[in-house]
Amino acid sequence: MIDSLYLAWKYVRFNRVKFWTLVACITLVAFLPIALELLLDESEKQLLSRAVTTPLVVGAKGSALDLVMNSLYFGDEVPEIITMEAAQQVADAGLALPIPVYVRFRARGHPIVGTTIDYFGFRGLEVAEGRQIFVLGDCVVGATAAERLGIGVGDGIVSSPETVFDLAGIYPLKMNVVGVLRKSHTSDDLAIFVDLKTAWIMQGLVHGHQDLTKADDRQLILKEEEGNVVGSPKVYEFTEITEENLDAFHFHGDPTTAPITAVIAVPNDEKAGTILRGRYLTPEAIHQIIVPKEVVDGLLSNIFRIKNVLDAVILLVGLATALAMVLVFALSLRLRKREVDTIFKIGCKRATIARLLTAEILIIVASSAVLVGVLAAVIARYDNALVRMLFIR
Amino acid sequence: MISIRALTFRYPTGEFRLNMPEFDVAKSEKVAVIGPSGSGKTTLLNLVAGILTPLSGSIEVGGTGVHALGDTERRDYRITTIGFVFQDFELLDYLDVMDNILLPYRITGALELGSDVRARALDLASEMGISGLVSRHPTELSQGEKQRAAICRALLPRPKLILADEATGNLDPVNKGHILDLLFQSVDHHDATLLAVTHDHELLDRFDRVADFHDFHVWEAP
Amino acid sequence: MPASKRRSTLLVACVLAVGVSFVIVPDLPAEDALSVYTVNYPLKYFAERIAGDHASVAFPAPAEGDPAYWMPDEEAIAGYQSADIVLLNGAGYAHWVGKVALSQFRLVDTSAALRDTLIEIADTTTHSHGPTGEHSHEGTLAFTTWLDPALAAQQAAAVGEALARKRPVLADEFLANYEALAGELLALDVEIAAIVAGKEERPVVVSHPVYQYFTRRYGLNAASVHWEPDAPPDAAQWREFEELLERHPAGWMVWEGEPVEAAVEMLAAAGVRSLVFDPCGNTPEEGDFLTVMRTNVENLRAAYE
Repeated sequence: MIDSLYLAWKYVRFNRVKFWTLVACITLVAFLPIALELLLDESEKQLLSRAVTTPLVVGAKGSALDLVMNSLYFGDEVPEIITMEAAQQVADAGLALPIPVYVRFRARGHPIVGTTIDYFGFRGLEVAEGRQIFVLGDCVVGATAAERLGIGVGDGIVSSPETVFDLAGIYPLKMNVVGVLRKSHTSDDLAIFVDLKTAWIMQGLVHGHQDLTKADDRQLILKEEEGNVVGSPKVYEFTEITEENLDAFHFHGDPTTAPITAVIAVPNDEKAGTILRGRYLTPEAIHQIIVPKEVVDGLLSNIFRIKNVLDAVILLVGLATALAMVLVFALSLRLRKREVDTIFKIGCKRATIARLLTAEILIIVASSAVLVGVLAAVIARYDNALVRMLFIR
Repeated sequence: MISIRALTFRYPTGEFRLNMPEFDVAKSEKVAVIGPSGSGKTTLLNLVAGILTPLSGSIEVGGTGVHALGDTERRDYRITTIGFVFQDFELLDYLDVMDNILLPYRITGALELGSDVRARALDLASEMGISGLVSRHPTELSQGEKQRAAICRALLPRPKLILADEATGNLDPVNKGHILDLLFQSVDHHDATLLAVTHDHELLDRFDRVADFHDFHVWEAP
Repeated sequence: MPASKRRSTLLVACVLAVGVSFVIVPDLPAEDALSVYTVNYPLKYFAERIAGDHASVAFPAPAEGDPAYWMPDEEAIAGYQSADIVLLNGAGYAHWVGKVALSQFRLVDTSAALRDTLIEIADTTTHSHGPTGEHSHEGTLAFTTWLDPALAAQQAAAVGEALARKRPVLADEFLANYEALAGELLALDVEIAAIVAGKEERPVVVSHPVYQYFTRRYGLNAASVHWEPDAPPDAAQWREFEELLERHPAGWMVWEGEPVEAAVEMLAAAGVRSLVFDPCGNTPEEGDFLTVMRTNVENLRAAYE
């Protein structure tokens, strides 16, 4: 068999195009269902595990899927903005702990998650290095984000202005990295967490600037009215929060109108959750309350339906490929008739060629298997990111 | 070396008949077989090689009754006793010259491929003047070089009998003589016997003996 | 978990094997004491009085300095972040709360219900810039609400409600504790009212503008300067004070803390006597909120005799 394998190996090396074409066919046909399975497994794991640990989400009426994708997985699609009043309502009901989240801004491609300190306890996120968010401008970053952005405790990261709708109010803000979270193998690993108020600073709702009433530079003042000083465009908005200017930051307007994208509601118990859900069923309710697991279950069942169709297609393609392979080998046998005759005359069984062919098929299949293995390993290595790319974006 | 008695042969289909009452080739003899196309020259080689089985009569090669051998024995006989040289060389394109020379050792369990065999293969190649080409593929060789490689392959298992089927048929006149010289030298060197089918009448005088096939074949009217 | 589960299963088995006739069923383990953090001392005192053993109340500001202008260090922030309840005074007190990452839903603004009665400090300049237009900064409200015992009682009520929300089963106990505290606060109120009754128009000067709610409660005729008890007034402050005295002939200066001798002497020379009325925003060296207030009341009694 060693000799047969040797000869077959020489044969496939000589007929590279044929060999690689066959290997590619088998690899593709075998890899597709494996990759699909891997991805679905991972997406089920990633999406579902997160969904089941997030009991309820309150958000604007509209696409429940967008809401879940944004508030659980920090997807790009920003749902309609709601206000802190929604969180206050949950708090006032006394049935659940509200954890508002504001997932709208990004920094170098990573989502900035504005939330309250409760989020970390709720998700069981621990600071592996550095400390928790203490003041405005502080941020803690997920393990993967820290790795990818090459940032650590003591560094700064500037929020990106690209998703800005309202040019008038939004400034790129330099956040101070004060902590790096332990890896949790969830979307949290990718995120940059700030206090809600810091997220509002990015939107200009909380801001800091020189005290105009004490300004020495008269150019800062556009006009002075009775009891009001109007700042000129020269008024410099701080783009970084430091210990020195921290005191200068202040909130404009009513904090209950401050924007958030969703409220994660952690009910005191099952009954409280049911009662809370009931409150959002009235036609007057301006928000919807969703159970992320139901939304994700729906999504997954759709994906599985698609997978079943794909499986059937792949099965057919596999069959077609198998037939094509049989044809290829039959033709190759015919092409190698002289070779068969020669080795027969030299003194071999005609069936020796069958051994050579078997060895060749073995080499092809083994090569494909290795390739499939490598590709599957690559998929497995990046499945997390791929699932994000495919389902969350 | 070869002793044929009362040999008759016919293909299961077709009208061809071969009838050979007596034919002998002495040890170390170099015999040319001539005759018109379709006269049964190649059939004779195949019968001597045990590829075809006679209808009746006997073929003995080196004392072995080839006609009476079973399938497996016949293959073993072929690989150990016979060296084939073909008109189209029949080298495998996907193997380099060395692997082509070693081919008999790779495709049968009857021969064992040891380091001595490899050394002999190299000796043979240099004997044939192609030692510098052993890592090339047949597609990179000239016709003459290919036939030298084919002769190496035929000789490597130390056959007692070389069967050459138009071994010079595809060569230019200069090469024809040269290859034949080499073949003769090798046969002598290895103390083998040569039975060569040829159309090249100008080379006939180099053989010890010429067997004209007109003497053997029988045409039967339809 | 499985280990402890196994252990408890074992325990149950043992108990059953020994025989159950004399097994005393232990009380269910009490819920952990609530962790309450406050931004000033009065709230700490109220919370401790109302919660009793059911909460551990912390107010981590250093003994020196005014907690109103304090910025907690990292350790203190971590403490506030871990608290079940953070009691705020509201009225713009403790500006730092707005700069620190605290969960809004653990914050309890004890003066939220008093919003309409809060005193705005005059002559604050607003400013405007950007699209949102005019606004005024926080901190323009007077914040020493607890110096009005009635307001203090209402704040204490808010504390009690917050505690009861977290531990509904203890609501009755909290209510009883609150009522006891409120009774003492109101007794204080009655006493102060009696002291100043009929003498409200008597002019006094306060060394610092922190007595707005107190003077409003009792309709006192007080004017304010901006002196620190640990330093005598400088020339400008003294000149301003003399001008003030001309139109507001006060006989007493009310200090936040024990004033330096020099200042007392200067005032005495001008015919103004000194008394201490500690707002008690920070933890007192001795006694508690009520004992400090009773001392304040005794001090005050001298001025209104």
